[in-house]
Amino acid sequence: METKKKHQVFVEGPIPSGFIAESIEKHSKKLNIGAHSIFLGQVRNDRHENGEVGAIEYTTYHAMAEEVFHHIREETFAKYALTCMHIYHSLGTVQAGEISLFVFTSSAHRADAISACEEIVERIKKEAPVWGKEILTDQKTKWKQNT
Amino acid sequence: MKIKLLAFGQIAEITGEQTELAADVCDTTELLQLLYEKHPELKSKSFKLAVNQKMAQDVTVLNENDTVALLPPFSGG
Repeated sequence: METKKKHQVFVEGPIPSGFIAESIEKHSKKLNIGAHSIFLGQVRNDRHENGEVGAIEYTTYHAMAEEVFHHIREETFAKYALTCMHIYHSLGTVQAGEISLFVFTSSAHRADAISACEEIVERIKKEAPVWGKEILTDQKTKWKQNT
Repeated sequence: MKIKLLAFGQIAEITGEQTELAADVCDTTELLQLLYEKHPELKSKSFKLAVNQKMAQDVTVLNENDTVALLPPFSGG
């Protein structure tokens, strides 16, 4: 059973679009699936007083995060009739415009995949010990001005 | 009593990422008091504690060799 496997959630750097395409492709052999729901989190170029976000550097409390992701998986599988569930989160530096979170749920009928996907994303935001440090684009420019 | 202290995000910039504490504290409240004395900057910061990888909801009794983590608000995703 998929639920019993220990899953590797963290990916170093951004999640490439090719990886997402391959993940979809892999499910074409599972003929009992009728619906996929995909959430992609992308790093946004938020503007602050002191500059624009050029990238986010992600860190985690690895041992605790593994437990949290495991619980989210188990509880979501118990609650919804899912065929598959995949969760990937970036660590390290992800540039604005790149993907840092990929949640992928599949089910026979759409309601389960859609609800489960949304719930997983909300739970990750709230429960997963992951931190993003914003790296501003004009930080270097500001240093140069100081000298 | 020996406690392993971990810190993450902006809290780690104050306390360092990892410290071994030899302190005479028996629960998380006493540990917090000690940390506030050592690092007064922590008083203005928002963070929660995890004891042995579980969120500490209330006052939690600490035992020898426990791992306590200082967790600022999560910002993953």
